[in-house]
Amino acid sequence: MALGVGEALQSVICLAPGYVAHPGLPVGWVELVLAGMVLTMIRVLWRPESVTAGAGRFHTLVDLPGIGTWLRRLARHHHVLLALRMMTVAVFLLVIYAGLFGTPLPERNFATVVTWSLWWTGVILSVAFVGSAWCAICPWDALATWLVRRRLWRRAPEHVSLNLRVPRWLRTVWPAWWMFVGLTWLELGLGITTSPHLTAILALVILVLTLVSQLLFERKAFCRHFCSVGRTIGLYQQLSPLALRPIDPEACARCTTLECYHGTADIEPCPTHLVMGRLRENTFCTSCGACSQSCPQANVAWSSRPLGSEAMLDARPRWDLAWFVLALVSLTSFHGLTMLPVWEDWARQVAQVIGDSGQLLWTFTLGMAASMAVPMALFVLVAWVTWQMDGRKLPFRRLFSVLAIPVLPLAFSYHLAHNLNHLVREGRGASAVLLNPLGKGALPMSEAEMLQRQLHPLLDQDLLFALQAGLLVFGFWLAVRILQSRMSQIAGAGPARSLMLPMLVFVAGMSLFNLWLLMQPMVMRM
Amino acid sequence: MRRTIRAMLLLSLLPALASAHHVLGRPSYSLNEDSNTPPSMQVETQIGKYFVTYMVFPAFPQPGKPGRINLYVKRLRDDHPFLGKVRFTIRDDSWLASDDAREELGVQEPVDNVFRQGFVISEPGDYLVIAEFEAEGEPYRIDFPLRIGNPSSMGPLGITLGVIIVLLIAVNLLQRRRLARLKTSEYHAREEA
Repeated sequence: MALGVGEALQSVICLAPGYVAHPGLPVGWVELVLAGMVLTMIRVLWRPESVTAGAGRFHTLVDLPGIGTWLRRLARHHHVLLALRMMTVAVFLLVIYAGLFGTPLPERNFATVVTWSLWWTGVILSVAFVGSAWCAICPWDALATWLVRRRLWRRAPEHVSLNLRVPRWLRTVWPAWWMFVGLTWLELGLGITTSPHLTAILALVILVLTLVSQLLFERKAFCRHFCSVGRTIGLYQQLSPLALRPIDPEACARCTTLECYHGTADIEPCPTHLVMGRLRENTFCTSCGACSQSCPQANVAWSSRPLGSEAMLDARPRWDLAWFVLALVSLTSFHGLTMLPVWEDWARQVAQVIGDSGQLLWTFTLGMAASMAVPMALFVLVAWVTWQMDGRKLPFRRLFSVLAIPVLPLAFSYHLAHNLNHLVREGRGASAVLLNPLGKGALPMSEAEMLQRQLHPLLDQDLLFALQAGLLVFGFWLAVRILQSRMSQIAGAGPARSLMLPMLVFVAGMSLFNLWLLMQPMVMRM
Repeated sequence: MRRTIRAMLLLSLLPALASAHHVLGRPSYSLNEDSNTPPSMQVETQIGKYFVTYMVFPAFPQPGKPGRINLYVKRLRDDHPFLGKVRFTIRDDSWLASDDAREELGVQEPVDNVFRQGFVISEPGDYLVIAEFEAEGEPYRIDFPLRIGNPSSMGPLGITLGVIIVLLIAVNLLQRRRLARLKTSEYHAREEA
């Protein structure tokens, strides 16, 4: 009985007067996470080992009994992919229609519920299971491609686009970095998540941007350089257990025609300029299947690989990608921060100091800038200390880029844990919205309905806590493993142990901050 | 048992739950099923030393139909309600609209600590309601967005379709010209050869 009351009290924690939020991770689970982190640290510092054995091995899935045949068919033929693209485009068009013509109530409109509660949260979960499969069925790309090429799947003549090369200064992921920051500002600052109308307009704007990019530049420049969703998925994909790879690497080594890169008369070339035989990292692979469809030897298929092996061994450190990783880790934590009741108290105090009123956009912008600047500045400091400890052997930019790779699992694990909360607690109303996408005649959510949703999340609350705790420990463990591997590549197993220390402090600090965020009650968006 | 206790605790917090989804400065919609009040739009924000709650009835006012604004202002320091006068003005909220083109809705005194301002607006569109008051010798001004009627649905769709069509035609024309130029230069090259 006492335990029941304790748990019940925890489920309605009230931090600030007037705010009731969903409960955070209970103390028991927090202790388990801390124990997991301590054990990982002890193991790493006690037994340094270079993480290389078996980390790069691929196992093709087409050899699996039963599912293998299906996967082979999926990789070779365009029909399944085309059908899936048509489905996502249909949903996308319904999102726009519902956003423009449906009810303005966010929790009753298909546009806001599907975009922000299901897709935006689910797309990150999908990376853990199917890598960048979302990019293959992305409705923005599919619609823009159909409109520009005026065909559903066959290769179009080159003159449908200006086919310009992307200017050298744009051949980075900095455009996607800025788009990511901009989208976060629109989402959390302007509150686009609570406006079906603005959600639909944002979808249309991104469609126009995708189309402009396809009309101006060769192949899919938008996917490679501009799309923040694609780059987020691309980076997280370094940790995914699935990837498109050659079945027989020798066959690729002998290949001189490179259909995967150039395409065939019917099949488009690789949209992001990748050559399958030389592919070591999946950051820019959109899983579009062009390589597997065009390969005359049917040598490209989905393969499984050890978790995080790409980040440990194969991912090439890049200055722009390193900054994208830092944006990811800071903005995912910032997402959590803005959904705490305590955020409102801070915002009030800052607004009072700077004289902000109305929607408090200046206050929000300041908070967002600070939330990005602090972890980034700390990381720069840690990289500089490591650089000094290493005797400045490597150029600073290179070491900085290498050190950013272990940060990736921290962003991914917290992103997943945070999104699970949204999906489980906000997804409850999805079925009603699917039945009435425009929300015709719907009223705002009543107090009784809000109560019902709180009492009956999609997953049992204890299971949700277990998953969140497991994700945090997993993220920390993977970050440390990647750090170990990368540092031993730079300095050898022995010296790597001391060189790792500053980064270990950073990784542990970020993990503890994310754990603290998960412990707090969370205010839902709708 | 656990669920029952949870439900009881949550029920006891129902009034607080109603404000659980309010984000500072952001409109939210609520329905109180225990009263006859229609759904309302509510914004909570602050300015200087005051916390302001602004409610619009109905939640989605229509052109030509009467609506009401309820404003509640309290001092952050001690939750003491502001009891002076509040002047309500309104203007068009389009990008090019000037702040000089304001129309006065009224000057209100509080009744039960709430400033109530009625309105009837005939033209649909985006408006800005400006509430102004003076407290402790300092002037305060708060801007609240007010949407009358439904936002234009065809506008964004039409603009997007228009932009797409113009872009597709422009690139098509450019490429045709480029191809024609290429053919001509190839022809001349062959002639010269």
